Amino acid sequence: MSRFAKAALAIALVAAVAALPLLAQAKPASIKLMVDGTFQVKENGEQQLVDGFKDLTGIDLVLNHPVHNEYYNKVNLAFSTGDIPDILIMSGNWYTKYADAGALYDLTKLYNKSDFKKRLADPAVVEALKIDGKLYGIPFERGNGTITYVRGDWLDKLGLKPPKNYDEFINMLRLFKNKNPDGLPPEKVIPITSAGLVNSEYPLDIYLREFYQDATPDFVKKGSKWVDGMTEPNMAKALKRMRDAYAEGLIDKEIITNKTSNARDKWASGTVGCFNYWAGTWNLNLHNLITKNVPNAITRPIPPIKETKYVERPATTYAITANAKNPEGLFKYFHEFVLDGGKGQTWATFGTEGVFHKIEDGQIKWLPSLQDPKKLFLKAVISPELPVTNWQPNWKPDPMISESLKMFQANSVAYGLPPANEKYLELLPELNNIKTQYVTKIVFGQMTIEEGLAAYKKDSAKYVETMLAAINKK
Amino acid sequence: MVKARDWDRTRRQIRNDWMYYAMFAPVLVFVIIFNYVPMVGVSLAFYKFTPFARKFIGLDNFADLFVGIRAPQFWRAFGNTLFYSITNLVLSTILSVTVALLLNELVSRKAKGLVQTILYLPHFMSWVVVSSIFTLILSPQVGIVNNVLQELGIEPIYFLAQQKWWTPIYFFIVRWKETGWGTIIYLAALSGVNPELYEAAEMDGAGRLRQVFSVTLPAIVTTILIVFILNLGKVMNIFESVFVLQNPNVYNATDVLTTFAYRVGVQQGNYGMGTAIDLFKSFIGLFLVLGTDAINRKIRGSSVL
Amino acid sequence: MREVFSLRNGHAGRSIFRICNVFFMFLLLVLMLVPLAKVISDSFDRSTIYGLNFWPKNPSIEAYKSIFTNPNLRQPLLVSIVTTVCGTALGLTMATLGAYVLRQKKLVGRGFFAKFIFVTMVFNGGLVPTFLVLKGLHMTNTLWAVLLPPSVNVFNMILMRSFFEQIPESLFESAEIDGATPPQVFWSIVLPLSTAALASIGLFFAVEYWNEFFRYVMYISKTDYYNFQIKLRDLILSEQNINDPAIIGFANMVKNAGVVVAMLPFFVIYPFAQRYFIAGVTMGSVKE
Repeated sequence: MSRFAKAALAIALVAAVAALPLLAQAKPASIKLMVDGTFQVKENGEQQLVDGFKDLTGIDLVLNHPVHNEYYNKVNLAFSTGDIPDILIMSGNWYTKYADAGALYDLTKLYNKSDFKKRLADPAVVEALKIDGKLYGIPFERGNGTITYVRGDWLDKLGLKPPKNYDEFINMLRLFKNKNPDGLPPEKVIPITSAGLVNSEYPLDIYLREFYQDATPDFVKKGSKWVDGMTEPNMAKALKRMRDAYAEGLIDKEIITNKTSNARDKWASGTVGCFNYWAGTWNLNLHNLITKNVPNAITRPIPPIKETKYVERPATTYAITANAKNPEGLFKYFHEFVLDGGKGQTWATFGTEGVFHKIEDGQIKWLPSLQDPKKLFLKAVISPELPVTNWQPNWKPDPMISESLKMFQANSVAYGLPPANEKYLELLPELNNIKTQYVTKIVFGQMTIEEGLAAYKKDSAKYVETMLAAINKK
Repeated sequence: MVKARDWDRTRRQIRNDWMYYAMFAPVLVFVIIFNYVPMVGVSLAFYKFTPFARKFIGLDNFADLFVGIRAPQFWRAFGNTLFYSITNLVLSTILSVTVALLLNELVSRKAKGLVQTILYLPHFMSWVVVSSIFTLILSPQVGIVNNVLQELGIEPIYFLAQQKWWTPIYFFIVRWKETGWGTIIYLAALSGVNPELYEAAEMDGAGRLRQVFSVTLPAIVTTILIVFILNLGKVMNIFESVFVLQNPNVYNATDVLTTFAYRVGVQQGNYGMGTAIDLFKSFIGLFLVLGTDAINRKIRGSSVL
Repeated sequence: MREVFSLRNGHAGRSIFRICNVFFMFLLLVLMLVPLAKVISDSFDRSTIYGLNFWPKNPSIEAYKSIFTNPNLRQPLLVSIVTTVCGTALGLTMATLGAYVLRQKKLVGRGFFAKFIFVTMVFNGGLVPTFLVLKGLHMTNTLWAVLLPPSVNVFNMILMRSFFEQIPESLFESAEIDGATPPQVFWSIVLPLSTAALASIGLFFAVEYWNEFFRYVMYISKTDYYNFQIKLRDLILSEQNINDPAIIGFANMVKNAGVVVAMLPFFVIYPFAQRYFIAGVTMGSVKE
């Protein structure tokens, strides 16, 4: 090799190293994106969204889109077998677990430099996602939660106002059952239902807020120490409320074998008086479901009774994985694009024009959904009703959706993330099963509260001890 | 010298039979690729293997299961596994053989065919489907069973949420689904029984019942044993049926090793621990099969395997 | 031959037995049919809450229409059919080849082969290692991942062998004297004599492939390749199916219809397979 060539090579190398930071922000040619059921499915415009992204950015989105129920199983499998995406949806316990394990890229710096940070509607939503001051994922929409829907037409016929406190609430359930406005016999009425006594994922206490009130079966921070909420005195009171109501036939007899889909089907059948379910789009969906069978039914969200608040979950995030090659580029061309307050955000919220929406008199109007032409689209990737940034697209929300969200947000407390500790997160799911079991046994009247809690303590002792030791260490 | 000659003969025999080996090759290749190569993976049982970690930890997983934090659940699941699967195996053998014998006694071919067709149907349904049918039928609010009870003035019962009901109902549902299917193999065996044997027995003045015990059963006892022993190998694998009928109120009494392994391994991403549970399960299964086959060999003088 | 129903000749005991037997069978049928009848009736019923009826209260065939016209459900049905047909053929090939070789008592290494294969019934590598092997073979996200691994089924192979063992040895001997090679014997003697075995074990395979569920969930992420069982489970359990037009408003009806459709192929196939069972009655008792 000639000396010249060597010199040229050396210069090229130096130049390459110097250019690295620049190159690092280079546009990725493709992004491997792993998403759950909240992304539009194949039958409903998945490909059109990918095409739209390509048209706008020139980047290929390579989707890994498992069935919703299998999402985190597939994520685990992907990480275990080295098939790791660049960007993926992460929420709740899994977000903390993956962040704690170092599997997610620390986005704090990029976030601080980002343009959308200045436009955030409520910075607390993002702050809540920081673990020891570090941020590992960006929320594209606010966290949601469940609200209590009641049969408005039943309330009206009974001449009732939405209940203000627990006694009025129970009284309302009793009247639904015993003096049913639709003339249903008491044994056919389900005064209140939900998809379980204890939610199967974090947070555990989003259902039956009127009964939980200030109690939770999950771990709670008391002062500077974590304690097991199950064995706190307020939990015993909550259990008593549920137990009494269940014995009286006010709570759905089948509450523990309910899946959220059965619970919905029950609501649709018109026999349910009161239903804890997601705020927002679900208000419209529940309304559509029930009016097919009971045309006059009114699906009315109510504010919480004075003893409690609704629970807002920590927002779902889009995270970048720790071994992604070009995190800066990914952040710039995906996260910043989706929250750009312009073309990108329009794509993410309203999808491609002509497929998801049309512009009429300068206003954005939803088009019929591809899957069910009888209905309109409600979102593309992120719900327009739950924005994280201040952005006023020329679009009118469905009043039913926005009203229930407004009511929810005005009356909810935002729950923080669960503690980020490996041992804690490893044992948590199994302990939650034990909790659910004893809550159920107590509420169903198969054990007294004292017996049930004593048995719980015995069964869970090793778990609780190990976990508390782990999270109280710091 | 003798040995060498033996070896020579063996070699000649192998060369002579090469076609058999060629025919067996595809089976062997598949088994090696899809069963043996992954079997190296049982070593995961000795690792902390999660989406983020791959660390050799020796017997820690087993220690956790046998005497550690997970011990109460593990041993409970083990006990439940044995109880549910062995009870079920015994029930299945008795019921399927009985129904097969009775079916065999039906005179009308058409009736027999009809009954068979209907008996086999539930086997074609997946467990998800079967569980939703029975959850619906047994529902305390809309189920037919409780509707009937109410007509009779009995308080509705939440069958699947009560331990004392769950267990018998579980066996009922499993048998409802699989009994008919289980008869197939016995019916095939019964069809092979030489009719002359019955004629001979009848000559001797044996009644129908006597014929069953002296001709029919002995003729199919080999089949019964083969099926029993093969099924023993699968006994520890009891999974879907429990999984789909389980609910939080009966966890303690219904959790089996596979549901436990599924939760810990697949759902919680703790693959090392999940594999450890699986490995333990496999050993018990192997022990059961080899043990039974040894007894069988002692009694009948020939092995099923 | 066994004589038919008769009250004469002191056959009273037998007659009582037969009457009891018929009665028992009748009871059994009722027990089997009640849940099935309920599903079928409800699959035609628009009502949201079903009652004690075994006849639809609001008859409608909407559910079936939506299953057969909706590509969401049609595609999985196609996948199910293709994998079941191919899988059964493949499974039978493996089972018969394996069983035929394992039945050769004098074959060197036979005992080893039998044990080698048997071990796989009890031991398996578990999810992650299997996944890695399939990934190495580039089979994840393809239908090969659900077709190939279950095709060697120890249980079915041992059963097949026990069927083959009932074929009289003399047939083989005479074929050997005629100079037939093992494949020729397999093809022209063993297979033709085993129609009953092929039908029953073929059905075993068909059911396994038709009901396969777990492998799809674990090894395949592309929803295009999902079969009907997955779709059915999705219908029944899914949390996010509200956008699926097949569901809204008459969810229960579609669930029930899904169950019926999932059983349908066997309604169709079974009478044929059953014919073979009956035709094969002679198989086990070939006179020497």
